[in-house]
Amino acid sequence: MDTFLAALFSGTSRGAIYALVALGLVIVWRGAGVVNFAQMGQAMFSTYIASTLIQNGNSYWVGFFVALFAGAALGAFLDILVMRPLSNKKKTELLSSESMRAAIPVIASLGILGVLQALAGIIWAAEERGFPAPAAQEGFTVAGSVMPFTSFDVFVISIVLITLTMTTIFFKKTGVGLAMRATALNQEVARLSGIRTNFTRTLSWAISGAASSLAGLLITPTSNLSPNTLDLVLIIGFTAAVVGGLDSPAGAVLGGFIVGLVISFVTFYLSPEDVFISILAVLLIVLIVKPRGILGGKDSRRV
Amino acid sequence: MSSTAKNPSIIRRSLRRTIFFIIAILAIGSTFEPYNQAQLAVVLIYFIGVLSVTILTGISGQISLGQGALMAVGGYSTALLMTNYSVSLWIAVPASIVGAGIAGALLGIAAARLSGPYLAGTTLVIALAIPTIANRFMSVFKGDEGLPVDVGYPPSWFTNLFGEPSYEEWQLYVALPFAAIALFFASNLLLSRTGRMWKSIRDHETAAALAGVNYSRQKIYVFIIASIFAGLAGALYGLRGLVGPSVYPVALSLTLLTAAVLGGIRSIFGAFIGTVIVVFLPDWIDLVLDNFELSEQVSNFMPALISSLLLILTVVINPAGVAGGHHHKHK
Repeated sequence: MDTFLAALFSGTSRGAIYALVALGLVIVWRGAGVVNFAQMGQAMFSTYIASTLIQNGNSYWVGFFVALFAGAALGAFLDILVMRPLSNKKKTELLSSESMRAAIPVIASLGILGVLQALAGIIWAAEERGFPAPAAQEGFTVAGSVMPFTSFDVFVISIVLITLTMTTIFFKKTGVGLAMRATALNQEVARLSGIRTNFTRTLSWAISGAASSLAGLLITPTSNLSPNTLDLVLIIGFTAAVVGGLDSPAGAVLGGFIVGLVISFVTFYLSPEDVFISILAVLLIVLIVKPRGILGGKDSRRV
Repeated sequence: MSSTAKNPSIIRRSLRRTIFFIIAILAIGSTFEPYNQAQLAVVLIYFIGVLSVTILTGISGQISLGQGALMAVGGYSTALLMTNYSVSLWIAVPASIVGAGIAGALLGIAAARLSGPYLAGTTLVIALAIPTIANRFMSVFKGDEGLPVDVGYPPSWFTNLFGEPSYEEWQLYVALPFAAIALFFASNLLLSRTGRMWKSIRDHETAAALAGVNYSRQKIYVFIIASIFAGLAGALYGLRGLVGPSVYPVALSLTLLTAAVLGGIRSIFGAFIGTVIVVFLPDWIDLVLDNFELSEQVSNFMPALISSLLLILTVVINPAGVAGGHHHKHK
């Protein structure tokens, strides 16, 4: 029973972070039609910025908010510098076939990931460093026994839930959010009705950058910070997004918690070595049974 | 592939390319120092792997970030045959491509349903998950420790005829015939009706289907062929000394993709150019950096930084790669 509770709590706390990563992927996929494999590289970069600020004597919260802004700025910068020129040159030969149009941004985002990791290595060296947590990481004591649930877990889950609510309100209730949904639905029509699609695309990269930086800030206290630590988080976040449905923000959240629980139960009941095989199994089962994800739309392949 | 037999000019063209390739490699290799000969052997091995990306992504339009996992399948098959059954490498390497082909068929059946970023992400998870199997079945795969294998020593008839080669030179001579065969097959494939069929799938699936191409089945065939190339590359890559999870990391898959894109993802010549760039780039960068006083921290990450920047620049400025341009004639 203790093992079960421990697995449940750690799965929920981790799942909240994976939900955030998946949400970042979904926002860029809907807003710009790209799965951003560089996303956790961006998060790694802004977490390093926060870590440097905190090591130089600033408070945790200064580092925290600077990292969020840096993540948003970096996302916008990458879109303007790399992805916008790509999306505006559809007429060239290599991009003219339907399959290569999908493959080229993926390759570009892998290039961005490589650049960010190499730069982080050059600037901050490759050795691992710790990252502080804003709340205690010792379990609560209930009736004399230590529970596997820490105040840091409470912090993580509440901050993730606040972020998710805010994003939902942003997309549903604000004019800019509406414009972004219109762009996601049909870029051409959105542009014809006066929406500045270049702007909304950049905005989705910025929001996604901030969301993934938040995920980076929340996950590094329990792992460690190095140029490569967040690669695995990206792969898990991708699985979560596909499980929930790549075009559904609510699905991303659901997928995050599902994958978090699966990983946690496999780690506690089988062995940590089986985690990646089980992720692969979950991914393949979902892709075979319901290729658009649990909350994804109907299969609408454009011809 | 029956069409290749009907058209001898295709075979003749491929044969001409292959013979030129063998002569060029032998001529260049004989002038090299042992260190560069070993590098050239790596070029040949990567070249086979990059061809698998060229066929899969450049020709049929399916992106895969998991070719390293298929290389691992080829490597482990060879290593298990050589260590457990003491089979000669000249039998073990060709036999191992059967294993890689079967893995490719399974992967292809799953992958034929996916496209674009879905396929990229799924193959990335595969690249990560497959090497961890080595730790799951410790008794067979020996975990992180891996299975030590190497190219051994040349047979006596070889030393009698050509004299005693250095170990690095022998690595080169082992890789060359396999690379030449891979080049010959890839060239035939691209020039033939099958190659044109796969290009039609890349350009427009629905149009290909209307022209009578069963694209779901053909996609699986492409995966099998590409996996055979990757398995062959992986078997030879393991023969450099060790077959283990650390030899086939996710970064290996990404290196193959980088090489294919830099050189020109649609052509065999591009695959070779890209491989040469990726393998020799660290040495070239070292040559330049020696003129500056730089800390180790900077120089260690320079090759990764430059090759990633080149990848982005290629994609944004000239997606057809170094060898692009002339290869786009459609009949």
